[in-house]
Amino acid sequence: MYDMDLLKHTDTVNELLARYGVKFGIYKNNQFKEQMFPFDAIPRIIKKQEFDYLEKGLKQRVLALNYFLNDIYSEKKIVKDHVIPEDFIFASSGYLAECDGVQPIKGIYPHISGIDLVQGKNGNWYILEDNLRVPSGASYPMIARDLCRRSSPETFQKFHLEDNRNYAELLRKTIDYVNAGGHTVILTPGRCNAAYFEHSYLAEKTGAHLVSGADLKVVDDKLYYINYAGELERVGAVYRRISDEYLDPMNFNPESVIGIPHIYDVYRKGNVALLNAPGNGIADDKGIYYFVPKMIRYYLGEEPVLSNAPTYLPFYEEDMKYVLEHFDELVLKDVAEAGGYGVVFGSSMTKEEKERFVALLKAEPRRFIAQEVIDFCDIDIMEGDEVVARKADLRAFVLMADEPMVWKSGLTRFSRNPDSFIVNSSQGGGFKDTWVLFQ
Amino acid sequence: MAVMKRLDFIYCMTITYSEPVSNCHYTLKCVPADMDRQRIESLKIEVMPENYRSRGQDSFGNQMVYGTIEKAHDVFSCRVCGTAVTGCADSNRQRKGELPGMYLNLRGLTAAGKELESYCGELAKKLAGRTDGTPYGQAVKLMQCLYEDFRYEKNCTNVTTTSEDAWRLKRGVCQDYAHILISLCRMNRIPARYAAGFMLGEGESHAWVEVLWEGKWYGLDPTNNQLVNEDYIYVGIGRDAADCALNRGIVVGGGQQCQQVAVAVKEI
Repeated sequence: MYDMDLLKHTDTVNELLARYGVKFGIYKNNQFKEQMFPFDAIPRIIKKQEFDYLEKGLKQRVLALNYFLNDIYSEKKIVKDHVIPEDFIFASSGYLAECDGVQPIKGIYPHISGIDLVQGKNGNWYILEDNLRVPSGASYPMIARDLCRRSSPETFQKFHLEDNRNYAELLRKTIDYVNAGGHTVILTPGRCNAAYFEHSYLAEKTGAHLVSGADLKVVDDKLYYINYAGELERVGAVYRRISDEYLDPMNFNPESVIGIPHIYDVYRKGNVALLNAPGNGIADDKGIYYFVPKMIRYYLGEEPVLSNAPTYLPFYEEDMKYVLEHFDELVLKDVAEAGGYGVVFGSSMTKEEKERFVALLKAEPRRFIAQEVIDFCDIDIMEGDEVVARKADLRAFVLMADEPMVWKSGLTRFSRNPDSFIVNSSQGGGFKDTWVLFQ
Repeated sequence: MAVMKRLDFIYCMTITYSEPVSNCHYTLKCVPADMDRQRIESLKIEVMPENYRSRGQDSFGNQMVYGTIEKAHDVFSCRVCGTAVTGCADSNRQRKGELPGMYLNLRGLTAAGKELESYCGELAKKLAGRTDGTPYGQAVKLMQCLYEDFRYEKNCTNVTTTSEDAWRLKRGVCQDYAHILISLCRMNRIPARYAAGFMLGEGESHAWVEVLWEGKWYGLDPTNNQLVNEDYIYVGIGRDAADCALNRGIVVGGGQQCQQVAVAVKEI
């Protein structure tokens, strides 16, 4: 496989990616730095049969999460039936009281979900986390595929794989399904956002307007786009790439200058669709993650197809006991953090660090989850001319219109550092295309 | 059964700016609505310099009047008046989908710190064996203690003062009394929420506390050390004052601003 013609073009593809501005911005020490998101040309290949299985599990998971969000912002049956303790909902910063009783158009909360998985050495796939707020990353394999096809057309004649360039089509279908009448816009916080490339690329590919908060305006419970002539044109759907708290200074963080005053009031009246729906943060909470398999059984009456990584909740006494006894074998995660932050390995702590952590764990048991360290499979990457093995995960994208649709590709991220298990792009990793074979 | 009263109320809020405001977004939650305890018989709302265009309801059931004014102005005002029948019930029922957990977190303006925690500990010792054992009875005792240990004084706290900060000062206004009592209740695992409104004989807006017991919310007024009765008109409820701020706005321009509020409630 490593004599594949495509690999000879790695540098060309990376140069083209640079020229197209495929960058990832990160904030370090309060400074904004844009860096290349290094592309590795060796694709991750997933066979049809295996992907069919993933697809089934992902659809099931997102469907259950959507039931959960509908429930938790209305009747809260899952709490009343003692499946999830009340504390895990209301103590989470992801639960927004402002969303209680406000139903999104057609009852869809996670229009676009990014589900992170890893494959263990035993071949089993495990769900690592759910990203139902503003998951980014689809644009990278999209454009990489496009550039690879141009650089090495013969590779794509030889291998029979699913075309992933239909992502824009799926996204458009998802947005149109809930559009309340009017334009579709992609709302970006602006140039200095980590995923600005993606915002502009998706706008171009879906034919949506790329706008910032100042381009939109609320008049009489409707949302409008201010066009080049200063006229108002109705907006029916906003694929917003800014977080809930900055969305509307009149309803959320009053300090926000990138949001649109009263946009949430328009949403509350059903006059505009917001994708994803505000309030999804509760589903991303690492404490809630533990309960997703239970949700699948509760709402769908099915056994989960895909498993979570084995997880313990120190909130439960028996789990706390296990965690303290097996501390060095576990990875501990702060439930409120994302992007690879707030993750510590028990084995890597010094004695003092460990004591301090255990004290914190006992004081705030709800704040942490503990997971078995999964020995996940390495995948090959090119390091110069050499092929080396590195840790990698897969972010699969599930879009939800009248039913969930799984994009037959995904973002494979790998760690550049041979000793690191953390693959988040915000921590400086690279990416690969994900090929799904169609036979 | 409580005594019913018919109360005429009027609420006027005026903000005067030293320089013109060119653009203003506002959300007002100063409109009373029907609840178990009260019925609004008549209501009139006016916003100046342009009347409001939108009305809605937030997740706590609070009435909202909101809009945007793009005309330059140096005075913004709002006037709400009407008639309320109060004392229709002795409590407000818990709503469907409303779980106590929402009102147990020491978050936002009710975030307690060391001082309040130690006060809570003192009270626990002091009140041991002296309450009837119900959450409601306990909350009433906490109110009585707080009333003794805190002093009413204006202008030493503001709308962003947390319960911990107010407790350190040992003085403040009705909002501070309410936040501290909420924190104390929540530390004792009693679900408690903030209520804003008007009160017979008060010239300003008022704030008090509701505690949940057996599916019903009971009102306690720590500023006056009394149970909420038919002299009170509810305007807003929330986890803390920020959830039901009577007015919220973003203005462009304006320079310095001065806000005046006048409330009159009389029995008819």
